[in-house]
Amino acid sequence: MKLGPVGDRSGLWVEGAVALFLVLFPSIFAAIGAGTDLATRILILGLFGLGVDLIFGFTGLLSFGQAAFFGSGGFITAYLLIHNIVTNSLAALAIGTIAAAIFGAVIGALALRQVGVYFAMLTLAFGQLFYFLDISPLRNFTGSENGLPGVPKPTIPLGATTLDFSSSIGTYVFVAALYFIGFVVARRIVRSPFGAVLRAILENPQRAAAVGHRVPRYKLVVFTIAAAYGGLAGGLLGMFQGYMPPEAFSIDQSGEIIVMTVIGGSGTLIGPLVGAGVWIYLRQELQNIDAIAGIWKLILGLVFILLITGFRRGIVGGIMALARRWRREG
Amino acid sequence: MIEAQLLNGVALGSILALVALGLTIIFGLLGLVNFAHGAFFMVGAYAGWIVYTQTGSFVLGVATALVFAFIVGIVVERVLIRFYYKRPPEDQILVTFGLNIVLVETVRAIFGGKTQLVPSPSWGQGAVQIADFVYPQYRLEVVGIVALTLAVMWLILFKTRLGLIVRAGIDDALIVNILGINVNRTFMLVFALGVAVAGLSGIIDAPIVAVYPDMGTDILVQSFVVVVIGGVGSFAGAILGGIVAGEIVSVTTAFAPDYGQVMLYVAMALVLILRPQGLLGVEGRA
Repeated sequence: MKLGPVGDRSGLWVEGAVALFLVLFPSIFAAIGAGTDLATRILILGLFGLGVDLIFGFTGLLSFGQAAFFGSGGFITAYLLIHNIVTNSLAALAIGTIAAAIFGAVIGALALRQVGVYFAMLTLAFGQLFYFLDISPLRNFTGSENGLPGVPKPTIPLGATTLDFSSSIGTYVFVAALYFIGFVVARRIVRSPFGAVLRAILENPQRAAAVGHRVPRYKLVVFTIAAAYGGLAGGLLGMFQGYMPPEAFSIDQSGEIIVMTVIGGSGTLIGPLVGAGVWIYLRQELQNIDAIAGIWKLILGLVFILLITGFRRGIVGGIMALARRWRREG
Repeated sequence: MIEAQLLNGVALGSILALVALGLTIIFGLLGLVNFAHGAFFMVGAYAGWIVYTQTGSFVLGVATALVFAFIVGIVVERVLIRFYYKRPPEDQILVTFGLNIVLVETVRAIFGGKTQLVPSPSWGQGAVQIADFVYPQYRLEVVGIVALTLAVMWLILFKTRLGLIVRAGIDDALIVNILGINVNRTFMLVFALGVAVAGLSGIIDAPIVAVYPDMGTDILVQSFVVVVIGGVGSFAGAILGGIVAGEIVSVTTAFAPDYGQVMLYVAMALVLILRPQGLLGVEGRA
């Protein structure tokens, strides 16, 4: 976590580099034979992962229930758009995001009563609660195991005209713009005084409390922010696919986003995007190789165990450590 | 009908109690939350099911599940887990979660993803008349088998030298180490014992739920709930929590089928608010 001092503005080049990357990303993917849709999916999960990174990488809270927010934000956004209750995609996303944040505040208030492994167990259990609510009692709204088909592609009405993002590249632009905003906000958060307290909690919660910070309040706020990121990403998933799947609520979804974030490098904001990229791209490629099509997840699982055991900092964290050493020696 | 559901709750609850007991022992002594516990449950079910279908003997299948899971537990502890005792809890969770993926996907690669029905053993087929309703005989026998296993576990934990070390270790591992006891070997045995009990639960549950690669996922989460409800590190808490959880699911399902699983998590939230250390947990240990 070698970030600049609080208030340091010298790092604007990072935002610029991310913006440049987002512009070039579809071309890079086209060059290696992957489609724009794959790039869009990676950005959506990268956005989801930013929230996970804020709570885990920067605050030390390992939540196994993030799918609850991904799913609830996604289904609320999808439901509003499908039934024409809201026609503006951005408004529907905003409502889904706020709803997810409210769920985050409620679950956080309960689960954050515990720390460490208990917190992980509780978030996992609350995640399952949402999954079962989606499958059974709320099936008239959520379509149960069928999910919600027919989610409209993103559009923004502007006076007389309507901005249409329904093409493949259009959806990418829409998602990339929101990813960029999400990235900048997350970067502002971790570089603010608030973010400094989060890092203090990560390194030593007792000490953070001892110097007078209200640790529970900080944890609850960052947990709520992470839930909002999940809700926004979920809303985008439904629009992008034209379909909101019940798997968005599943344990596998909660686990996968953690795995992606850790592979990419938790504690670095680029990490979740890189992790999502590696995971999704490898999944696609491995599934195309006949001999190992059935065991792609086994391979990625083994890689994950090796990473946790030997390269805890993930891809981006590892590269940054190498770069620092090189700079010192050079 | 309600009597049958109450009995269903006991059958489900006893399986949950057994799985949660393994979880709580491993956690109590090793301080390690095993997110692969459900996968070990599944591995035991598959090992037992293969031997059962090959030989026709369910008892042999149960013995195989127990022994195979124990061996898998020893191997996993030596190869992977032992390097994690000094790592932060988050790393332990991540690595056991990764282990969960690897175990589930290995079984899926070998046996496919299909759900395999497992017939009840010859001595468990049919139904028995209780008062004014009939009830599947095997489910009653499950309660008996679990009760027997719990009794054996109690003897191991409370009447043997190993059990003494385990209980002392749960209270204060450092002092036990200072007293010159090889905690390292004890850790290995306890981990394998917990895994073996999970594997045993898997094959016992197999005739009720059938076997499939993801069969451990729900059990894992439910046994977390059991541990939260019953209290961490408590033998009696695991049993009480298991029965309470089983009854909540079964009774709610009788009245409002949609809410069977939902109520379980609502109950967990209530316990958390009203009694954070769990029904039988000791305050301060959590």
